[in-house]
Amino acid sequence: MNRLIIWYGELLTQKKLIKRGALFLGPGMLWLMIFLVLPGLILVLVSFAARGAYGEMVWEYSFDNYKRLMGYGIFGWTPDYLVILLRSVWVAVVTTGLSVVLSYPLCFFIARKPERTRYLWLMMVIIPFWTNMVIRTYSWFLILAPELPFAKLAAYLKIISPGMALYPSAFAVYLGMVSMFLPFVALPLFSSVERLDWTLVEAAQDLYSSNLRIFMHAILPQTLPGLSVGIILSFVPAMGMFVVPDLLGGAKYMLVGNLIQQQFGTSRDWAFGAAISMGLMILTMFSLYLYRRKNKGMELL
Amino acid sequence: MKKIILALLIGLSFLSGIAWCGGGELKIFTWSEYMDEANFPKEFEKATGIKVSLDLYESNEEMMAKLQSGGLGQYDIILPSDFIMPSLIHLNLLTPLDHSKISNLKNLSEKFTSPDFDPGNKYSVGWQWGTVGLFYNKKKMSEADVQSWSVIFDPGKTPGAFYLIDSVREMLGITLLYLGYDFNTTNPKELKAAADLLVATKKREACLGFKGGVGGKNDVISGTASAAVVYNGDAIQTVAEDPETYGFIVPREGSAIWIDSMCIPAKAPNLEAAHKWINWVLEPEAGASLSNYNHYATPNGAAIPYLSKKDLDNPGVWPPPEVIKTLKFIKDLGKDNRIVDEAWTRVKSH
Amino acid sequence: MRKLNLAVNTMAFGTMAFLYLPLMAVAFFSVNNTKYGLAWKGFTLNWYLQLFQNEVILHAAWNTLILAVVSTSISTVLGTALAIGMDRFPWPKKMNTGFDLLLHLPVIIPDIILAAALVVAFGFLRGISSFFEPGLFSMIVGHITFQVAFVALVVRSRLVSIGKDVEEAARDLYATTPYLLWNVTLPLLMPGIVAGAMLAFTLSLDDFVISFFTAGPDSVTLPLYIFAAVRRVVTPQIHALSTLVLLATILLVGVMERFTRKKNTP
Repeated sequence: MNRLIIWYGELLTQKKLIKRGALFLGPGMLWLMIFLVLPGLILVLVSFAARGAYGEMVWEYSFDNYKRLMGYGIFGWTPDYLVILLRSVWVAVVTTGLSVVLSYPLCFFIARKPERTRYLWLMMVIIPFWTNMVIRTYSWFLILAPELPFAKLAAYLKIISPGMALYPSAFAVYLGMVSMFLPFVALPLFSSVERLDWTLVEAAQDLYSSNLRIFMHAILPQTLPGLSVGIILSFVPAMGMFVVPDLLGGAKYMLVGNLIQQQFGTSRDWAFGAAISMGLMILTMFSLYLYRRKNKGMELL
Repeated sequence: MKKIILALLIGLSFLSGIAWCGGGELKIFTWSEYMDEANFPKEFEKATGIKVSLDLYESNEEMMAKLQSGGLGQYDIILPSDFIMPSLIHLNLLTPLDHSKISNLKNLSEKFTSPDFDPGNKYSVGWQWGTVGLFYNKKKMSEADVQSWSVIFDPGKTPGAFYLIDSVREMLGITLLYLGYDFNTTNPKELKAAADLLVATKKREACLGFKGGVGGKNDVISGTASAAVVYNGDAIQTVAEDPETYGFIVPREGSAIWIDSMCIPAKAPNLEAAHKWINWVLEPEAGASLSNYNHYATPNGAAIPYLSKKDLDNPGVWPPPEVIKTLKFIKDLGKDNRIVDEAWTRVKSH
Repeated sequence: MRKLNLAVNTMAFGTMAFLYLPLMAVAFFSVNNTKYGLAWKGFTLNWYLQLFQNEVILHAAWNTLILAVVSTSISTVLGTALAIGMDRFPWPKKMNTGFDLLLHLPVIIPDIILAAALVVAFGFLRGISSFFEPGLFSMIVGHITFQVAFVALVVRSRLVSIGKDVEEAARDLYATTPYLLWNVTLPLLMPGIVAGAMLAFTLSLDDFVISFFTAGPDSVTLPLYIFAAVRRVVTPQIHALSTLVLLATILLVGVMERFTRKKNTP
């Protein structure tokens, strides 16, 4: 401990180095421990507790909440909660997928612009990204309203009854989600697309590759770092999103986020809410693990 | 030296605590659009010099959730409905009222003095009472159809777009009444049937989902919906302004009758102001001004002479005896509250 | 190739339109002279004027700003120190992976879980100290918690790209540690710190979920206010408010662009 070492060109003892390191590391780590790790552990504990008759939390431990999540509630077996969990995964996957599909052309387009206008276009993508999510979501109320041409077109095509708006509906939720998360994918993706080595693409073209193969083998691998970050930044929050389903889905299209919010709100069942949160976390972790297995060597930021 | 500093600090915080409490501010947690939010508190401010700030909620459960997750020390006055009173009392979430500070308590009507859920008015003083019913657009729905709740529950009917009320007991209760069951039943089979009916209703294209009474009313007015299940007071003003277009009715299967009361949460910051508020609302003029604005019926007997005749004659506000027979009070279910909550979760999560 | 070009361009434009259509609609209807419905009834700036007289909204805007500024300042300091502590010191590999995991937690966990954990934790801490009543304090704590991780990650990647050489050179020239920190490391790190701070600032301004679960009656922020209002009735006043927020965002983005461009061109 007291022998001398050289670190970054400085001569000092290991003990001193550790003390100094702790000084830097200490406050931040302490904060994260107290306000991140500890609450997390408490949440796990609470997920095993129960709800009293009047909505208070009662420390009776059991697996009841998890059993209920799996479907074994008072009214017999229902797949409700599992359906909601899986639906949330599905929506997150579709949202991320559509965002990726729409982001690539956007990024190619911007990357090929001259330096000056490129900044402008990037700013135009960043602006909605920085605009508050509540505003971005409720603004769809206007577009989907019965008076506007979109709803009228849908009524004409007999998809909905005349005079009704295009929300609340699953369609509206998907619209809201994709418009919400598209910038999350586009911006990290752009940093990779910007650095794309187009000579590889040219080489593939010279070898008479089909467009699809060019994309899969010349473009995709090069953009993988940015794409991965984008996918994570979109998929993870999408799993827990409740604002979009709440405003655009009414009470009709429920996702896990709404369910959790309901437990901490009107249902006053914190214990069940904690259990659902645990379920969500496990699902998210598992999905990320699967993704990581397919794409080794993924760095985050 | 350290002891002196400690003593000084304690003294300072004590003094600032006292300064904080005097006169000061009154924080009210109330239903949205329940009083003339722009003017009614101002009249109180003029009378007492105490500033009022309002925070709003849409359902009793929302209010309780807020209280239980930390709101106890943040509000001076809350307005819970009758059925949630036992829960509040049981969980020690309320401060007992100091009747010596409420001289106008005698103004309460006979019916609302010492109610079942709060003998002796220990914790509460009546605020307004009313019913739940259907607010509808006469141009889009026929008078004949709305006489029964089947207009929204029967898949054969085409009511146009409608909202259900986003409140557990009221909505479940109405469904139970429609199915012929008891409003306050705790029978799992019956609750399941009601929950399933609500789920089926919710899934129909015509149903736009659940909204608080105020939100539903606003949507009918703006044309997004043809009907909404609302509290009677939400609807009355609009119906009075435009009786050709809008109507309000309690369908024949029945509905809920409720009383909201003023209560003081357990750790209220300003007890003085809270008691002053309660006493002031019990004044005849204040009570009448309140009811004339929100068109609910008042438990304040002394205020009745000051009420607008239109409201007194309006069956939507003061229901006639044959409607009152079909109206049920929501009972607190004690331990069985949980099964009702689970039924509601079932409704919301399918 | 031409056809592909056309397809790409069309899709790009379509995507941009998709992103901006709703926001344009809000701006459009914020000057429409009618309280309900979407028929065009004339131009008016009434709703904007009403905004500035609405005390509740002004209070919410103030809260939002205070929350963002305070939480960003604290989290930037904590996060930078954390990053330096993690990268510039020889911790054993296991500890390093542990730190890594801890920092990535707020990124890989949906924020609603974080919010739920905070609600429960604050519920218990409330018994110890009344500081943890829902309100601005608990919101600031919640915001700092996820901001620290993001700041630390951004700063650390910058640290990694700076490398050891400059600092070793400074040591060779007999620099003391404080001098080293203040005059060598920090200036080099500044772009990373600023980027981290800006990221933290936006995350706080935009945050809804954590604020939703930890807010008290006095500490309503703009997003919370708009959410509650929109669930009751959508008024042109809300449109006006949203348009203003949008304009403020555009301003902020413009300033940020200017700033980073200046920094990046030596």
